[in-house]
Amino acid sequence: MTGEVERYLVVGAALFVLGALGFFTRRNLILMVLSAELMLHGVSLTFVTFGRMHNSFQGQSFTIFILTVAACEAGLALSLILALYQRSKTLDIDFWSELREPGLPSPRLAEEREARDLVAPPPLEFPHLAPAGHVPDLEDEFGKLVDDARSPTADTPLEPPEPRELVKSVTK
Amino acid sequence: MHWLEEHWLGVSLILMGGGVWWLMPRSWQLPRIIGLITALAGAYLMSWGIKSVGGDLGDTVMFWVFATGAIACAILMITNRNPVYAALWFALATLNVCGLFWLEAAPFLAAATVIVYAGAIVVTFVFVIMLAQQSGATAYDQHARQPLLATLAAFLVLGLLLGMLRDANPGDVLVAKAQSPGVTANLLSQPAPGKTLDDDTMRGLGRSLFGDYLFAVELAGTLLLIATIGAIAIAPRRSRGTL
Repeated sequence: MTGEVERYLVVGAALFVLGALGFFTRRNLILMVLSAELMLHGVSLTFVTFGRMHNSFQGQSFTIFILTVAACEAGLALSLILALYQRSKTLDIDFWSELREPGLPSPRLAEEREARDLVAPPPLEFPHLAPAGHVPDLEDEFGKLVDDARSPTADTPLEPPEPRELVKSVTK
Repeated sequence: MHWLEEHWLGVSLILMGGGVWWLMPRSWQLPRIIGLITALAGAYLMSWGIKSVGGDLGDTVMFWVFATGAIACAILMITNRNPVYAALWFALATLNVCGLFWLEAAPFLAAATVIVYAGAIVVTFVFVIMLAQQSGATAYDQHARQPLLATLAAFLVLGLLLGMLRDANPGDVLVAKAQSPGVTANLLSQPAPGKTLDDDTMRGLGRSLFGDYLFAVELAGTLLLIATIGAIAIAPRRSRGTL
């Protein structure tokens, strides 16, 4: 086993650091919590490896406690995130930087603020339905039906109404 | 090659950090595969420098598969622009870490981690992401905060950890410990006499948890109960019919 344990420790350290990096750089509240869980994975792996080095089950027992605390942490973090989301309607952590003391500069860089303003929200899209044939003619006379079928206006499909107008009519 | 043996730590850190920095979400998009390959090359160089001596071949192959998967999924998780994909990459990283647990004679831990993380935590997180971000892509997921400084700081920490690992050389510690056993674990936390950690996992873990750590298990159960009550108390009510 000697010489075999270091590589597990390398993976554990790399996972921990990657989780910390995610915690630093992500601005989404949920992904920050998930990055913290990734750090816990790295620590768990290190604990199991240490337990194996010392030929005891203490590392695994400790990891089970980490698992318990991680479950508690995830539940509490999600309910806190939901409470924050209900107030701000965004998962952006920068929204809460407004809680700083008056007179202090914003922690966000100017380019970040500009970048946020540049990105427009995606336009609302409605599904486009394929036009299904022409409008059925309700008149009884057969000859008139044929005339309608031959006339160019009958072949043009019915234009679907503009989605925006639909929305307006519904909201009215 | 001699130069590489001298400077493997710095080279591997620069490679991996550069790859991760390359993948960070920003206003322009670089080809992702280049960053991923660079980061993984750095990670391989890292464990090559630690001079790991393999056990048997099957374990070694499985280790490389799971370790590559864990690190690649972790990198993709922290750099993905879509939070749902990031949560799914996290689930994959969890599965790979569970594979490593399995290789380290901890099958119960592997199963429990899959159930708790991939089965419960990730699903709940994906639900919340889907409830909260119904409008699709958001601006704050498209821009990492301070990618260069954060990458520098994080890989400085990794360099310190790896340097410590190289100098401490845990294998030598093990050999020294085998020659003169000093402080040993509680008997309940050790495998039964005549058995190794790998033979005796389930029984030994049960003895350790419910013998050595019985009081802590009760405390952990109480903690779970309190956290459940707290989560229910904190979670907002549906006042206006929406989240």
